[in-house]
Amino acid sequence: MLLSTLSSGLMLGVIFSLVAVGVTIVYGSIWMPNAANGQFFLLAALFIWSVSVSWGVHPALAALLVIGASVPLSYLLEITLIRRFYDVPNRNISYFVLSLGITQILAGLFSITYGVWSDQFQIPPLVPGVTFVGPFPIANSRLAALVTAAVLLASLFALLRYHRYGRALRAVFQNREAAALRGVDVRGIYRMSFVLGNAVVFAGGVLFACAYSFDLTVSWTMAITAFAIMIIGGPGSVLGALVVGMVFGFTQAIVSLFASPTTAAFSYLGAMLIILLFKPSGLFAR
Amino acid sequence: MNAPLLDARDVTMRFGGLIALRAVSVSQAAGETLGMIGPNGSGKTTFVNVITGHLKPNAGTVRFDGASLIGQKPHQIAGAGLTRTYQAVRVFRELTVRENIATALVDAKDRLDAAGIGEVIDWLGLGHRLDVFAGGLTLYEQRRLELLMRLVQRPKLLMLDEPVGGLSSTEVRAMIALLAELKSRCSVFIIEHTMKVIRELADRVVVLMAGEKIADGAPADILTDQRVVEKYLGSVDA
Amino acid sequence: MKDRLFASRWTKLALFAALAVGAPLVLSDNRYFAFIAGITLIHIVWASGMNLLYGYTGLMPLMFAGIAGISAYIVVGLTGTGWTFWLAMPVGALASSVVGMLLGLPALRLKGFYFTLCSLVIQTVITLAFVYFVTLTNGDTGISQIPLPTLPGGVSLQGLGYDLVLAGLAVAGIFILIRLTDSDFGRRLVAIREDDALAETLGINVTRQKMTAFFIGSMYASIGGAFYAPYVGFISPRSFDVLISLNVWLMVAFGGRGTIWGPVIGATLLAPVPFLLQDYYTIKDVVYGLLIIGVIVLLPAGIAGGIKRKRTSALPATATAVGTEKAR
Repeated sequence: MLLSTLSSGLMLGVIFSLVAVGVTIVYGSIWMPNAANGQFFLLAALFIWSVSVSWGVHPALAALLVIGASVPLSYLLEITLIRRFYDVPNRNISYFVLSLGITQILAGLFSITYGVWSDQFQIPPLVPGVTFVGPFPIANSRLAALVTAAVLLASLFALLRYHRYGRALRAVFQNREAAALRGVDVRGIYRMSFVLGNAVVFAGGVLFACAYSFDLTVSWTMAITAFAIMIIGGPGSVLGALVVGMVFGFTQAIVSLFASPTTAAFSYLGAMLIILLFKPSGLFAR
Repeated sequence: MNAPLLDARDVTMRFGGLIALRAVSVSQAAGETLGMIGPNGSGKTTFVNVITGHLKPNAGTVRFDGASLIGQKPHQIAGAGLTRTYQAVRVFRELTVRENIATALVDAKDRLDAAGIGEVIDWLGLGHRLDVFAGGLTLYEQRRLELLMRLVQRPKLLMLDEPVGGLSSTEVRAMIALLAELKSRCSVFIIEHTMKVIRELADRVVVLMAGEKIADGAPADILTDQRVVEKYLGSVDA
Repeated sequence: MKDRLFASRWTKLALFAALAVGAPLVLSDNRYFAFIAGITLIHIVWASGMNLLYGYTGLMPLMFAGIAGISAYIVVGLTGTGWTFWLAMPVGALASSVVGMLLGLPALRLKGFYFTLCSLVIQTVITLAFVYFVTLTNGDTGISQIPLPTLPGGVSLQGLGYDLVLAGLAVAGIFILIRLTDSDFGRRLVAIREDDALAETLGINVTRQKMTAFFIGSMYASIGGAFYAPYVGFISPRSFDVLISLNVWLMVAFGGRGTIWGPVIGATLLAPVPFLLQDYYTIKDVVYGLLIIGVIVLLPAGIAGGIKRKRTSALPATATAVGTEKAR
């Protein structure tokens, strides 16, 4: 019991962290609170389901395809919509509304297309078989997803901390004008961050689909969860997203033992509200 | 001697670990024009933010016109007759000059009458611009509109945060002339980091350096003070 | 001069009153179209309230529909226990506005995006509560067959009569909005919208003004919600979820925030959309989503704002002309 709770907490934690890191990278650079992250997450999960189930492509390859597909999609969005607001004052509210519009469009499209499917969506196993951890069987697919997510998180963290891009991103986050004066290509960083952030959210959706079966409501739950993590961890703080994401994962695993998922959603909303009211800069504000 | 109009004692302001103001005491008599100089980041604007209620000091007392200002909100302090302008000019850009003035009057406790307002408008030379959006004014006109919006409220003390910032040299001359006349309308507190303005206008000067008051006296004395010249003029005004 | 060229706002209000009363009269042969007109009138009330908050005060309250919903549920609950609608309506509207204000009170300290996010969270909590407290709300199933209000004499208010009451409500709502925005109170709100720190420096009690505006805006939401429930005859958590808040916001933004008539036009154009799309109901969300993006990208000042801008952009030019004349 303890072990299975632990493993499911770990699994949920890395997924939550991944998505929240993706959301917070986008917010930290271009100030876009992307409410559509839950729909992007679902889009990725549905894509990999279609590619692996309908086309019969192996899930591992399908995962790469889907994450790869996010890059041109993000570029397209960046060119058509996102870059128009780079210099608008109070652009976070424009972006927020924009992303609510995107949410509505995607939610509508999903309910027309995938909504006719009444079962849960489940993709074929990434890796067949189960591994016993002590007396508990854990699906190898889930284990693989867990390891992949952890590796992704670690490399993202390293990228943002040590790579030239990461330092430039932090400079832009702290002071855009100063960064521009120091020769940082601010718009380039913006574009790069939008693409990277969405790719990370897509990766979260893909790995989630590898580990769990899901339905369309997951977009809603994920949107709330990722936003709550970002706000509580501190908008723009990757470390905050990581830590709070893991905490949320374990909380959800424990709560789901004796209460409904609605209770978990309620508690996230409550925690987010408290942070918004008393420490809007978040727990890990830089 | 009468009690000072503004009396700030041992004002200390910390941001996290950073000390922005360290036990700064400043007092200003009614009718006196006080200047405050210091390099960027020395705490001048922070001081104004504390006095006008935008920041709550960690320690110290502030009394204005006989009453304590600590814990008062900016709108209450404005109502008591203490108001300020901003370093970056701040007017309602999307509203016309006329609407800007009307907004300044709406909650003014002790406002000028119509004739008085007309007189101030003429003095500041904005009469022909009343129906223009404030965002369409030149910077110098916006600076004058800022003054106008404060003066219709008949403040006792007006704190100006770098009133000539961004102006051309001819405009600076004109603004200094206006400010010299302003002294007869209310008490004035001026933050500047160009010595020129302070030298011409201030009766007394306070020098801030890294959050501490290092000098307080007549402009002529301050300018010959070795420390000030070395630390401040030596590096900035040269 | 402006007054000669453009009908004064009272003429416009009279014109609107004639249209609001006339539309249900003309459509009274076709109950379905008259019903759409009635729903549109309720949305005009909502849009006017949202306009006070978003257009004039600069707050974007995504909990707007939630407040309307609280009022609707209270009124339906009270009439269910034997209260007359005409007592339940003001009690419910007042109670939900107070609840709305208490919920919104802490959020009002926050600015811009943070207020909006906070209001979104509150809206989500309200929706969850509608679903969760089944004994009061009948959960996801919703409450159907809501009785119509009865008039003195025992007759039900229905059909054309109800439409005309809604018309009166919309006219009153706009009248009050005009009076509010013309007053000192309106000037304070605009100051807060434009620059709240500067407003405070000029002596305006920002928090109190925002609270008052929020209460009045909530009253618009609540009264609209109270009349909505018996008119449609059915309410559920979906009737008052965040998408409804967003749609009302869209009517204001699309029509032109901060103008009296822009949001009215916005509501008139957008409120009937779901009914016109009834055969393609599923694409409603997509259409609204596209409209939201369209407004944000192409029409940030809305239809009316676009016209206003064109009209006033002549002003600085005139001023320059005067300047050059003087120079000569």
